[in-house]
Amino acid sequence: MNEPVVVQGLTKYFYDESRGEVRAVQEVDFACRAGEIFGLLGANGAGKTTTLRMLATILAPTAGTASLLGHDVVREPEEARRHLGFYSSSTALYPRLTARETIEFFARINRYPAAQIAQRVGELIERFGIASYADVRVDRLSTGMKQKVSIARTVAHDPPVLIFDEPTVGLDVLNALELQERIREFRAQGKTIVFSTHIMSEAEKLCDRIAIIHGGRILACDTLDGLRRATGMRYLEDIFVCCVKGRE
Amino acid sequence: MNRESVRILFLHEMRMLARDRRTVILAIVLPLLVMPLMLYVVRSIERQRARSLKETTFRYALSGAEAGTVRRLIAARRAPGLRLEELPVTDAEAALRARRIHFHVRALSAGEAAALEEAEGEVSRRRPREAPAAPGEEAARPAGVPLVEIRFQGDREESRAGAAAMKEYLLEAARSERDRLLRERGWAMDPADLFRLERRSVAGAAQAAGSQIGKFLTLFFVMFLLSGGSVAALDSVAGEKERGSLETLLTTAARRSEIVAAKQLAILCVALAILLVNVANILAYVNFKLIELPADWEIAIGPAAPAVMVALLIPVGVFLSAVLLSLSAYARSYKEAQLYFFPVYLVSLVPAVAAVLPGVSLRSAIVLVPLANVSVAVREVLAGRFDWPMIALAAAVMVLAARGTMRLSTRMLSDERLITAADLDAAAWARGPALFSRHVFAWYAVMAAVLFAAAVNFPQLHSFRTQLLFNELVLFLGGSFLMIWKYRLPVRDALALRRPRAAVWPAVVAAVPAGHLAAAGVFRLADLVVPVPQRLLEQFGRELMPADVPAWQLYLFVALLPGICEEIAFRGPLLYGLRRRFRPATLVLVVGAIFGVFHIALFRLIPTAFLGMVLTALALLTGSIFPGMLLHAGNNAYAYWLARRNIPVSEWSWGWYAAGAAVFAACLYAIYRARTPYPGLHRVDAPRK
Repeated sequence: MNEPVVVQGLTKYFYDESRGEVRAVQEVDFACRAGEIFGLLGANGAGKTTTLRMLATILAPTAGTASLLGHDVVREPEEARRHLGFYSSSTALYPRLTARETIEFFARINRYPAAQIAQRVGELIERFGIASYADVRVDRLSTGMKQKVSIARTVAHDPPVLIFDEPTVGLDVLNALELQERIREFRAQGKTIVFSTHIMSEAEKLCDRIAIIHGGRILACDTLDGLRRATGMRYLEDIFVCCVKGRE
Repeated sequence: MNRESVRILFLHEMRMLARDRRTVILAIVLPLLVMPLMLYVVRSIERQRARSLKETTFRYALSGAEAGTVRRLIAARRAPGLRLEELPVTDAEAALRARRIHFHVRALSAGEAAALEEAEGEVSRRRPREAPAAPGEEAARPAGVPLVEIRFQGDREESRAGAAAMKEYLLEAARSERDRLLRERGWAMDPADLFRLERRSVAGAAQAAGSQIGKFLTLFFVMFLLSGGSVAALDSVAGEKERGSLETLLTTAARRSEIVAAKQLAILCVALAILLVNVANILAYVNFKLIELPADWEIAIGPAAPAVMVALLIPVGVFLSAVLLSLSAYARSYKEAQLYFFPVYLVSLVPAVAAVLPGVSLRSAIVLVPLANVSVAVREVLAGRFDWPMIALAAAVMVLAARGTMRLSTRMLSDERLITAADLDAAAWARGPALFSRHVFAWYAVMAAVLFAAAVNFPQLHSFRTQLLFNELVLFLGGSFLMIWKYRLPVRDALALRRPRAAVWPAVVAAVPAGHLAAAGVFRLADLVVPVPQRLLEQFGRELMPADVPAWQLYLFVALLPGICEEIAFRGPLLYGLRRRFRPATLVLVVGAIFGVFHIALFRLIPTAFLGMVLTALALLTGSIFPGMLLHAGNNAYAYWLARRNIPVSEWSWGWYAAGAAVFAACLYAIYRARTPYPGLHRVDAPRK
């Protein structure tokens, strides 16, 4: 298999005080190609974040395997992370660093070649329109500004795989649209993007393939047209409901 | 481990800390500005107070049949600098209350004194003329001796000072009078010439000063390092979790061990920097005479001592910074980390005071106890005694402890439950019992802090009854029911109110004397590690069994109340709250250790922790709180019964302890056979395929 992201039988159980044993993710399989936006579409609690956290090596799988560019997330977590940019609404920035320092730090710690860091930071500041506040501390920036810095730090080391876990949560329409535009740019650069959302329109517009996840299991995985053909429905919202109801 | 990654992370941590105003102000600016200012103000107030007292004319009243004698003594001997004025008053006590006089000297004849003591019920305090007062005991009045009583208002500074000055003055006057009488009756020589008494230390001044500093050096090092390091540590992981930047960091190419190493190095650097600032501060005060050293103060440290101390104290620094980092990693927020800090601080200070304990030598099992071994070793080194093999062993033990704690903090930073707890479970939303499990440590940390603060700050709680009533009823029982009410815990489950099998009861009854013997053996073993001075044990015995409390009350306060209230507190909500967080064996250790910590005194820590572990195991085996209550109350009552009959179990041979332990183990086995396990214990995550 040559796909940059390969997930096979990925499973995660954990024990929760109030709910007992929770089967958050059960035998999930998928693979993502280079230059593709792969969408994980599911309601809250469906298992999207847990799946992506296992890919990002924050959580260890209970069973199954996952690899990023051939690096197993359990056996070679550091190598896997070196090729990964992880963005989510819960991954915050360091408030006491400036935008420039933030991008520089993440480039360094992800082992981007030291000699090229200054040039890379300059490029990202230019490309993301951060120049006017590059030397301002993050805690003094607006939400939109922080979002740009956050995306810049995600790609600071130019990773081939990017994970966006519900990235537009809490953003206004304009900022959400801008973020979607950035993600398309990354696809154009040939990066592999795993994108999770519970917003149907976002998945519809952005994703090349969509996996519908519910109760920790993938119920359907195909292009939008493929899902339409399989269910006989036009809108993603109806397709989603059809899959979930069919399962229940 | 990639050194470059550690370097980048370390510089990053230091930059973040340097930009944190809270760190800079709390750690650097405040000690630099506030301490000199405070010292200056305190010294000014002290000088003013001394001047004011020196200029005060103490007004007093004199009453009683012996007033004339005392008046003559006062008149015969005027102390330089002491201004006294006797006021003629009809009611001296009223004048004292009305502040017209500073104190009242009541000079009573022997008859008057006896009548007064009779009226006040103090006859029992009087001793026969020939019986000397025990050392340190307030001398009671021998029969037939007049009594001079200086009555003053303890809440008034001037009244207190005046009464103290008058006491010294009258004692001196009494000595002069005694000498005069001796001379009048033919004593040829000056009583002061009977013999000359001198104390002379064979140790040099530098050695003595070194020993004195050495007693407290490790303690201060630990105090400064913990308080300074906490500023950085709490922000380092708990603060990052709260801000959400920890997850960002964990998705980078850096290893967990590299992150831990960098954070720990940063904590250590900040702690050492703060320590240096404080030491420099103190040296500056000494230089500017804000702190005055004794006149014969002399320090002479050889060339080896600094190197040895660095070798001993650096592992201590690493160990403490790892402890702080683990604490910060364990807490889910900055606030929670702050709550945990105080008990950790107190527990860390306990072994650090080992050097202060008399008779503790490095050539004992204490060399195996981290912190305590360095505390004693530093004292020995500063006193010029270099026991190289034991110093090396102490350093090795400390290095191993530091290494172990570092591993623990690395594991904590890999623990999914701790790094992503906020959204892995729904406890925060579910509230109730699920949330209690998350808060249980914080509750007991607060209870420990209240217990300690109340014991130190409220003298009203120093009496036997009030202290026990406060601890048992208010803190343990009240605290337990407050937790049950606040988190809506099911009372039957939270307190383990279940009926055990009938076979459990005879085994528990038999376990009382056997367990006591086994515990005495453990105490003897613990004594090898931290030798407990006999004086301390006797004092503890007196405090726990005051002579003026009837036996039935002692059984009530020492056995029944702790048996019920402490079991409810420690085998009730605590065990219930932690039951799913740890596996049973760890649960026994954790609950037992917390039980031991609540008994405050260092020498009681190991035996009470042992008892706590046994009681926890009993609760887990029977699923019920009742057998533990019987064993706890029975053990305490049995100990009291033995003490009343002067049966010295602590001096018995090791064979007795072994026999006790064997019978006790048999009892536990019988209980195990009749077990009805505690429900809902920790379950292991499903195994990986």
